[in-house]
Amino acid sequence: MTGTIGKEPYIEIRGVRKGFSFGAEKVAIFSDLSLNIARGDFVAVMGPSGSGKSTLLNMLSGIDRPDSGKVRIGDSHLEQMGESAKAAWRAHNLGIVFQFYNLLPMLNTAQNVELPLLLKPLSRRQRAERVDTVLDLVGLDGRQKQYPASMSGGQQQRVGIARAIVTDPGLLLCDEPTGDLDCKSANDILEMLRLLNRELNKTIVMVTHDPEAAGFARRTLHLNKGEFTEQFQREPEDLAPQPHRDEAMEQGVARQ
Amino acid sequence: MTSLQLARRNAWRKPYRTLLLMFCVAVAILIYGLTQSFLAGSQGTGGASDNLLGVFNKAGRSQSLPMSYLGRIAADSDVAAVSYMARMRGFAGTQSNVVMTSAVDPRSMAAVNGRELGLTADLLAGLDRTRDSVLVGKALAQAQGWSVGQRIGVTAFQMTGTNGSRDWSFEIAGIFEGADASTDTYFMIARYDYINAARAQGKDMVDGFVVRPRDGVSPGVLASRIDALFANSAAPTRTQSEKQFLEAFIRQFADIGLIINLVVGAAFTTIMMIVINTMAFAVRERTFEIGVLKTLGFSRGRIMALVLGETLFISVIGGLAGLAGAKCATMLAGPALGLSLTPLVAGKTAIVIIALGLLGGLLPAVNAMRMPIINAFRSR
Repeated sequence: MTGTIGKEPYIEIRGVRKGFSFGAEKVAIFSDLSLNIARGDFVAVMGPSGSGKSTLLNMLSGIDRPDSGKVRIGDSHLEQMGESAKAAWRAHNLGIVFQFYNLLPMLNTAQNVELPLLLKPLSRRQRAERVDTVLDLVGLDGRQKQYPASMSGGQQQRVGIARAIVTDPGLLLCDEPTGDLDCKSANDILEMLRLLNRELNKTIVMVTHDPEAAGFARRTLHLNKGEFTEQFQREPEDLAPQPHRDEAMEQGVARQ
Repeated sequence: MTSLQLARRNAWRKPYRTLLLMFCVAVAILIYGLTQSFLAGSQGTGGASDNLLGVFNKAGRSQSLPMSYLGRIAADSDVAAVSYMARMRGFAGTQSNVVMTSAVDPRSMAAVNGRELGLTADLLAGLDRTRDSVLVGKALAQAQGWSVGQRIGVTAFQMTGTNGSRDWSFEIAGIFEGADASTDTYFMIARYDYINAARAQGKDMVDGFVVRPRDGVSPGVLASRIDALFANSAAPTRTQSEKQFLEAFIRQFADIGLIINLVVGAAFTTIMMIVINTMAFAVRERTFEIGVLKTLGFSRGRIMALVLGETLFISVIGGLAGLAGAKCATMLAGPALGLSLTPLVAGKTAIVIIALGLLGGLLPAVNAMRMPIINAFRSR
């Protein structure tokens, strides 16, 4: 089992089996998956296509259900919860950052970020204050009225992050958050995730194909054929701010 | 932003499609509003009373009854008031411009249905001034362009005077407006004593009696008793309420109510199918986004409410436009066509608008609600 190091697990996956049927054929994704993640951890999950990364995220978000086994986050056993309970749990405990941002095009920045707050008993003013706070946090202050179509990919992803954290959830799930971004924007987003983890103690699970993106996490797990094959734990000094990736590239080019 | 604003934003994502949908709903509600206004108006039976009884010749309304029946009807202890009338059908100017004149005893008529017709003491005093005075209904006066003090000529189709002429001359003493918009005011009231004295035939005969039962008396029971009084006479009677009479009269030509219900029903079925189909398509287009909303924590109920809110928004805007159109039509053509958009009709229409919005969005809303997130994400 891939475990936590000296910390009480916040996320506990134990003995999970999951498969999909394609006609008569049944394909097993996980046969006995187990994983512990401590509160405040930042975990990157890497692996080739079809290794089960997205299925893992789907189960952690309650979108998909294991065939058997346990998926516990905090005090919530997701495998036992009904759809309504999972929706309420997501509204209060979970933020999701998507690869392609998934903003609603007919809503402006502030309205997109405000969406999860509609599920909370807050006044219009309280919602507006929270939206302004998180937009300021992600560096989009003053862009409240801007629509997604007029924003760059990096800006849209910032809006996506603001939407994910506006309810102050304990857990952030990121599905290749930099997969659609250029190097500079990707670096900014990853820095932001690291800040959220360090300063606000958000537990983050990030699926990525990019080793450099994984370098921002405290731990990197490699998933292959439904099993964690290796784990890399970074020391605190490894987590110091990294040079900008464009700068690093330039330095690399210069060295050549 | 509120959930309702979110639904509104969704609705306006395809403005052209939304406007067309609103137009469809507006047309449906316009049809509904006009037909209901017709039924509630003087051309229908909505404004007719169930409490006023008309006593007519059983052989047909073109047959008269002797005036002597008046005393026997009035003698019934359950009769609060009784009046009588002779009707003169004629035209003003051209033959197609038909004008109905009821020759009545003003005092007894005021006691029977003066309140419903809006007959004030001033109007009755005006009718008393000269024998050829008439009171003209508001709808008729507006249609003919008549005013108080004007002398008018009416040519009767059948009733001839003692001078052999079918031309009758009257002076307008006043205009009565009716108790409410649904009251039939497309006729005029003349004095029976004048008409009766001046006509060559049918003297001291009446076309019918109008009876107001005492409070608490069943009109149906009283009607049966009045008919029993004259069952073995030379001119047996048929007593009906005003409403029954009008319904039977209209049904002579066709079952108007059934035809209207069929037309409205067909229009609504068509509109409903358009709304359901379009909304189902709109929801299918947004499958992925519905998945995103669900991952944000929107429950199945909220997703359903969101889709229903969207169809309700379209239905309410379109419906209010249709209702406004119906109101304008009744105001412009109301008096001549007997249309009356009463508060009751407006209330019923509002219920239909809401029902249309909710029913039209139900199927797409249930589909959106039941859609698993994982399937929604596969749709992109």
